[in-house]
Amino acid sequence: MRKTYGKTLPGTKLTDSGKLIVVEGTDGAGRTTQINLLKGWLEERGHAVLDTGMTRSPLAGEGIRRAKEGNNLGRVTQSLFYATDFVDRLENEIVPALRAGFVVLTDRYVYSLMARAIVRGMDPVWIRSIYSMALVPDAVIYLRIGVDELIPRVIFSRGFDYWESGMDVFPGQDMYENFRSYQTALLAEFERLSVEFHFETVDGSADVKTVFTELQKKILRIVESDSRKDYFSKASEELAESLRLKLEKSWAARLSELRSDDLQIFPQTEQVSPNGNGHRLA
Amino acid sequence: MNIGSNLRIGPFEVFDPVREVAERPRLNGGQTFPGKLFVVEGIDGSGKSTQLSLLHKWLASKGYGVVFSTWNSSPLVKDTTKLGKKKKMLTPATFSLIHATDFADRIERSILPLLKAGAVVLCDRYIYTAFARDVARGMDSQWVRELYGFAVKPTVAFYFRVPLETAIGRLVTARDGFKFYEAGLDLGLSDDATESFRLFQGRILQEYERMIPEFGLTVIDATLPVEVQQAQVRQIAQTHLDRANELRVRP
Repeated sequence: MRKTYGKTLPGTKLTDSGKLIVVEGTDGAGRTTQINLLKGWLEERGHAVLDTGMTRSPLAGEGIRRAKEGNNLGRVTQSLFYATDFVDRLENEIVPALRAGFVVLTDRYVYSLMARAIVRGMDPVWIRSIYSMALVPDAVIYLRIGVDELIPRVIFSRGFDYWESGMDVFPGQDMYENFRSYQTALLAEFERLSVEFHFETVDGSADVKTVFTELQKKILRIVESDSRKDYFSKASEELAESLRLKLEKSWAARLSELRSDDLQIFPQTEQVSPNGNGHRLA
Repeated sequence: MNIGSNLRIGPFEVFDPVREVAERPRLNGGQTFPGKLFVVEGIDGSGKSTQLSLLHKWLASKGYGVVFSTWNSSPLVKDTTKLGKKKKMLTPATFSLIHATDFADRIERSILPLLKAGAVVLCDRYIYTAFARDVARGMDSQWVRELYGFAVKPTVAFYFRVPLETAIGRLVTARDGFKFYEAGLDLGLSDDATESFRLFQGRILQEYERMIPEFGLTVIDATLPVEVQQAQVRQIAQTHLDRANELRVRP
């Protein structure tokens, strides 16, 4: 039975045989690269994989993109628009895939959304109550990376982005300074969340291959505990259980045939204790 | 802003990343604005929009700076809502969230600044509409109330109370057929739109009744003649405006 963080949405069934694996981290931590690698690897191993991420919902993805172009998206509105996007994907992608036994890899989850909202001054209690309907994942892997390691990655990929630099949060026009302040605040928030929500932290500043190997180890433990090993161990447990029941039954039947008073199950013998070589003591 | 008995939140606070989470203020209740916020609530066909536009005329003629804000009208969000409704993509949860998003945009960019500036803001439907509809759709009532924790408490929330049959009678003559979500057809209560509308509005009516004591809604008997209702509305509005007379703008 899958758990939620408190509330269950109407019509959501909480029985599934899938695995929900979250990859969290700030922008530039390498989440997307890793998820792409993990997807191919898991599929090679024979798992059906669904990957999903922020603003990819058919309902709200486009609306959010358009709203962000205008730079006039308020903080509460932004938080709720993202929540709409999340719930659309939760109900229409994540839950059905989990019920079909998929491994769901999600590029960020409610934790990023909480961190971004809290850094923007939203009430931490308020944002947590909204996401109380989220499913509790099987694992949250947090790619942790410091601001100083983050900056070269951003420079050599797509440069500073308005929203990822927190230009809507911090005063002034200095994108570099704002990026530093915003990402520092986000990282601090992630540290808090990592304790509360039991993140498994991985050093995101290491090279792609090292991080990938680390993730493989962690994910293998979750994904393949069930499908193969667990299947066989469950099967052998069931076999043992059925044998035990059978034996119990036959013993019960035999015992009921015999009346206790005319039966000596353990006949009295001489009180002797064996020595170390199995010989009787004189 | 304190909108309910056990709500304590309101995300409008000064951004301060340095302070610890626990230290951040959660209460925004007691925040008062120079402006006034009058909202009308009631099921479809209760006549609330008619009453609000009459109130608007009267306030404008008296020289107040009056602004309308209608449900579901944010330029940033309404296209998404339209898409969801047209393609029938909305579940009770996303229906709830997209309307909250729309409301948030109107609060942040229109209602709040106007109230700070001392305007009289009139809202055709407010958070109580969301509470009634979302709960009628099966959402958790506490969750929905928390969701709207950022809302401003209205000066007066008028609730136009009308029996279900009266409202339906008014609507059946006024329009031809009901829309999918309006009739609650997404809930599968009935395949017949009118019947579904009846059942869905019945649930909504129940929720409104529950909210009268919870939020202290001002009940207006919407079966009375339009003029009588309007006289009551104006009288009640007047008492609140008298106290804020210094904010009046001479035409």
